[in-house]
Amino acid sequence: MSGLKRSTSGPGERLAALRGTTPQSPHDARAIAALAANPGCARRALLDGAGIDKDAAARHLGFPAPFGQSPFAITRGNAFESLVKADGCAELLRMLREVLGLPIAEVAYHDVENVGAHLRHAHTRALIDRAAAGAPGAGTLYDHPLLSLEIAGSTAYLEPDVVAFQLGGRFHIVEIKSFAVIDGQADPSAVAAAARQAAVYVLALRALLEELGHDPLKVSHDVVLVCPENFANRPVATLVDVRRQLAVLRRQLTRMTALDRLLDDLPEDLTFDLAPGEDGLPTRPPAELADALRRTDARYAPDCLSACDLCFFCRDEARQEGASDLLGRQVRDELGGVASVEEALGLADGTRHPAEGQEEIARLLRNAERLRKECLA
Amino acid sequence: MSDRLDDLERRIDELRSAVRRAMRARDTGTARVLRAELRHAERAWDALVSTVPAGPPEPPAPRLVTVREQVHQALHLLSAPAQPRLIVAVSGAFFGGTIRSAQLTSLRRDEARSFRSSPYGRPYYLCAALTDRLSPARGLLTLSAWPLERRVIGPLSPRVDFLTCAIAIATAAATAAAGAAAPDERATRLLAGLARNIPGGADGDVAPPDPERVAAAARAELAVHAERDTRDRAELAQRATSQLGDVARLFGAATLSTIVKEEAR
Repeated sequence: MSGLKRSTSGPGERLAALRGTTPQSPHDARAIAALAANPGCARRALLDGAGIDKDAAARHLGFPAPFGQSPFAITRGNAFESLVKADGCAELLRMLREVLGLPIAEVAYHDVENVGAHLRHAHTRALIDRAAAGAPGAGTLYDHPLLSLEIAGSTAYLEPDVVAFQLGGRFHIVEIKSFAVIDGQADPSAVAAAARQAAVYVLALRALLEELGHDPLKVSHDVVLVCPENFANRPVATLVDVRRQLAVLRRQLTRMTALDRLLDDLPEDLTFDLAPGEDGLPTRPPAELADALRRTDARYAPDCLSACDLCFFCRDEARQEGASDLLGRQVRDELGGVASVEEALGLADGTRHPAEGQEEIARLLRNAERLRKECLA
Repeated sequence: MSDRLDDLERRIDELRSAVRRAMRARDTGTARVLRAELRHAERAWDALVSTVPAGPPEPPAPRLVTVREQVHQALHLLSAPAQPRLIVAVSGAFFGGTIRSAQLTSLRRDEARSFRSSPYGRPYYLCAALTDRLSPARGLLTLSAWPLERRVIGPLSPRVDFLTCAIAIATAAATAAAGAAAPDERATRLLAGLARNIPGGADGDVAPPDPERVAAAARAELAVHAERDTRDRAELAQRATSQLGDVARLFGAATLSTIVKEEAR
């Protein structure tokens, strides 16, 4: 359903050609959030812009991604979510009263899923419109809302866990995650991922309010993150500021709509088509697909391993090239202008002459090499 | 108990006619399977009939109470629409119940089927709560004996029902504690979980909850929501009465198109 609204202008056709006969894979919040994780990667921008199923591509190339949620994690997540929402959102109301100072009278609960699946988005719009207009009895909690976001010309449908609305105030996205907060501390990468995902929802809700003619800033940039506390199953809520994630995401989405520049650099006949056969299995030779992918610039970083389906493919490529990207973002940034590990080593031991603009980094590398020798001697 | 017997008798009748049909169609394989089922059902009927006279004088052993009856007991105590999780907890805490949540999943569908085949054949039915669309609310069970106002769910109703359940549980816990030497651990744990989510219901996690205090706190919050909720529910109930037929009133209208059909009838 998301493929129907594709624009028919130049870039749209180019992207469709890149995708070829493979069906478009819809974006979910996780995928959109992952965009913000590595904004500099042209390969990812192109693949996502064209709506290519990266997981299928990686599998076909022989580099299946290590993730995708485990069934145990999904069951655990669902069980925790139902615990938080049990008994008329009793736990959630307690936490919102503590964290946001929700008045006692504000307990109205609307389950958007009461209408049929095909009406859910329209019903969400109607409910949010009523709440934003300040209609009396508009309600406080909206369960199972369905938001939409335009991604590179196609519509992605998104399901936040809960949208909370405080009377006279603002909308808050509530994100329920099942990783534990122990002694006030949670796994930073898990929190960062949750914040990025919540930022996608904030953006989608703001877009909806703007479309309905309300002030988009009625959606708070503070997201309510609900996690189990310590080693028990008892939920605890914290406010997470997602302004930074929002900025990255917005920039990344504008970049995705302006893919023309990236497309201009590509040869006309390039395609990432998997050429699925009758049974839906890809028939294109993997080597050919790999060649096509190598025509686009990837920006591999070790963080990709937790965010992108193609990570193993890109890592393999970076290893073959001996690229400095492998060493992480910080090292890569410090080695600005030096693309490979071999080059860096050559500059350090003086066997390689610095090219123009490399004098500064060559001097640093040589100094480092001298210090290392002194230490080891 | 007699429900169970009724069910079995109906089942035996069905099986007998099915065996006859299979024999007529010369389908010996199916007939053999059906005969085995029939014998099984008859044996179960025999066993039930012979235990019935001994049953009523003394309190029935927990495992002889059907899932249906256990759910009925719990719902009767709660006197508000409730989720399977809470029903199971209440049944375990106050009636020595043996049901698990998984056993409740198909209950509503079975009840609806039974009602359709012989309307009002049972003294009570476990049925659905109705949403503002008059469709069945997800994961909520109610009793057919309740007034429709209690079985419809307005925007404030989930919270109101939670508070009503909390009051009922607190009252039951107080009664149980007065009769017994030591308070039942399961009841205490259940009450503690509820008390935590009611403002003023509990001080901290350490002390066991005081049933009277929980009930008082719940009543205080209930007073805030009661008026609007009663109004919303009365309105919904009126709509349900005027728009829905018997089956839909108990088990919810499947879609809007079903309501249109009901009206056209």
